[in-house]
Amino acid sequence: MKRRSFLAGSAAAASVPLAAVPLSRAHAARPVTVRWWYHFDDPKATPAALIADFEKKNPDIKIQAESIPWGGGGDYDTRLYTALIAGNGPDTAMVKFENMPRLIDMQALRPLDKEIAAWDGRADISEDLWKLHRAPNGKQYYIPLQYVILYLYVRQDWMDKAKLPLPTNFGQFLTAAKAMTGGDHWGFGLRGGPGGHDFWCTFVLAGGASMTKGGLVTPAAFKANRWFIDLFRTQKVCPPSAPTDGFVQTIANMKAGRTGMTIHHIGSANELAAALGDRITAVPVPRGPTGEGWATYGDGSSAVFSASKNPEAAWKWISYLSTAEPNVAFNKLSGQVTVTISGAKSWDVQPKRFIEATTASLPYAHVLPSVPQTADFTRTVWPQNTQKALLGEISPDAMMRAFEKLYFG
Amino acid sequence: MRREALAPWLFLAPALAATGLLVLLPVLQSVWMSFHHVVLFEPQHQPFVGLANYVASLQDPVFWSSLWNSILWVVSAVSLQFLLGLGTALLLNRSFAWRGIARALIVVPWALPSVIIGLIWTWMLDFNLGVLNDLGMRFGLLAHPVPWLAQPNTAFAAVVLALIWQGFPFFAVTLLAGLQAIPAELYEAASIDGASPLHKFIHVTLPGLASVISTSLLLRMIWVANSLDLILVMTNGGPGTATQTLPLHAFLTAWSGGDYGQGSALAVILTLLLLGVVVLRVWRAREEFA
Repeated sequence: MKRRSFLAGSAAAASVPLAAVPLSRAHAARPVTVRWWYHFDDPKATPAALIADFEKKNPDIKIQAESIPWGGGGDYDTRLYTALIAGNGPDTAMVKFENMPRLIDMQALRPLDKEIAAWDGRADISEDLWKLHRAPNGKQYYIPLQYVILYLYVRQDWMDKAKLPLPTNFGQFLTAAKAMTGGDHWGFGLRGGPGGHDFWCTFVLAGGASMTKGGLVTPAAFKANRWFIDLFRTQKVCPPSAPTDGFVQTIANMKAGRTGMTIHHIGSANELAAALGDRITAVPVPRGPTGEGWATYGDGSSAVFSASKNPEAAWKWISYLSTAEPNVAFNKLSGQVTVTISGAKSWDVQPKRFIEATTASLPYAHVLPSVPQTADFTRTVWPQNTQKALLGEISPDAMMRAFEKLYFG
Repeated sequence: MRREALAPWLFLAPALAATGLLVLLPVLQSVWMSFHHVVLFEPQHQPFVGLANYVASLQDPVFWSSLWNSILWVVSAVSLQFLLGLGTALLLNRSFAWRGIARALIVVPWALPSVIIGLIWTWMLDFNLGVLNDLGMRFGLLAHPVPWLAQPNTAFAAVVLALIWQGFPFFAVTLLAGLQAIPAELYEAASIDGASPLHKFIHVTLPGLASVISTSLLLRMIWVANSLDLILVMTNGGPGTATQTLPLHAFLTAWSGGDYGQGSALAVILTLLLLGVVVLRVWRAREEFA
């Protein structure tokens, strides 16, 4: 028995970089199981082939994959927090930037600086992504896995019919939205339900507001927010159902030809292209009066939890997933974009125009502040106050004051 | 003799143990959390805060709007479920062809999971793709599609409607069982005395159903007051907080906001309000018995 363990340990140690040797010895002593939480938009997608490939290459590690319902993000996050506190959390999981402050507060994350520094695949991920993934305290807890950047879907045929250019700024956007509104169709599929804060960011944070103390209650911020709310209330370029429309409704409305524009990312490109063909295209979100743009950067990252008893095996798994070919395979399942430089060169999962719109949006990519309030903002405070403002129950200015109070007291 | 005295407790022991473990313990834990600062993301910091969570809850305008919504939710849904259930029970108590099948089919909404019912109604009421707007437009009943779930007044009515559809079979089945227990002789005697169908209903049927009605109403009130699944699926409490009831407010505070301290305080307040209804009912029952 001892001899077998020694041989297994030797084999494993020989197969990994020198810097990882001390970690590998511990897990090579006996086969270990890594519990991994993931979520795909397509419930039929399964990472079974990736797991089989990894386990073949790492026979001393078993991956126990657990698909966790996303539920707009809120369900997944709460399940993760609860499981970690209850001591029944996974070894590793897919995570997002907005989780990071809370997970750091909970002391639930394991720093990965040493592992990343020694990892061969590090150079195949751009420095921009590594910078974005660095925690406010300077440590590296996350490793990039997938990404998306929100852009504007536009009905090309409706724009051609109206003889309008694809919108690049707020003025052109409003002109196009008005031109496409009439009868039973509307220019812009606004999302007032869960997840709609990304729409608000595009128009209000690029329109004059900022996520700094007092930055949400300046005259410019109020003006930008009134303009945003007026898209529904005064300009009436959004469907009457907009206050509660979520992802499913906004995409269904585009597919059904009810709306001419909406905001989402490349994850829905194939679905929309299948329904509308060449009649739909995408461009970066419109820029504000000062030329500023805000396209939400949607990260998908991996983290190892501090409570994990098999952190080195968990690291092996998540670094495998962020390596060139496995990362391409993974993102074909998730419907998002590979984070590897080598994988991006041959990326053809979605039609080219949507990939180009994603790439062209990179200069405008932003994320909401990495503070604990952001989760409350996106899940409860934003939808409740925005819906009230859209319905005229509170003023747009009161809505902004509620956001300022949440973030800055 | 001593063994005989122990026997009931032995038989009750499994049920008592399960109730203690699965009901009493979580209730006590909720009460404990309601007096502490329990935020999911701060597991190391849970100080005693006294009544602070209760005070914060009562000072929050959303608490009062949620309480009012809860009252409307219970009164409208339970009363309409009861009336529809009573009418259905009276119909199913009559003889007609295929009555057995009708009795079985009527239970279907009750047997469906709330999440499924919520999704069915959400898509039926969808602004752009819903069957309700489509039929309304086709038959000229609606000039324009209505965003049923995006307007506060229609959203509340819509979730109540879905709950009525889900819950009326409970009353139908319960009251049907009660109707079948009323002796036929009472109706024969009333007929001989020249009573009209309405008189028979008022003086024979309703008194015969009284105990079933009060028990089923009490049970259903408690269930409906505690239920949040249908609202969660259909509107998540929106638009704004237009359909947010007290249990949903507690759930969102704890589950989405991670504030288990205040969420527990809201749950304890709701429990006390419901206990008030139960105590009133028990007190009335004892008075009637006396």
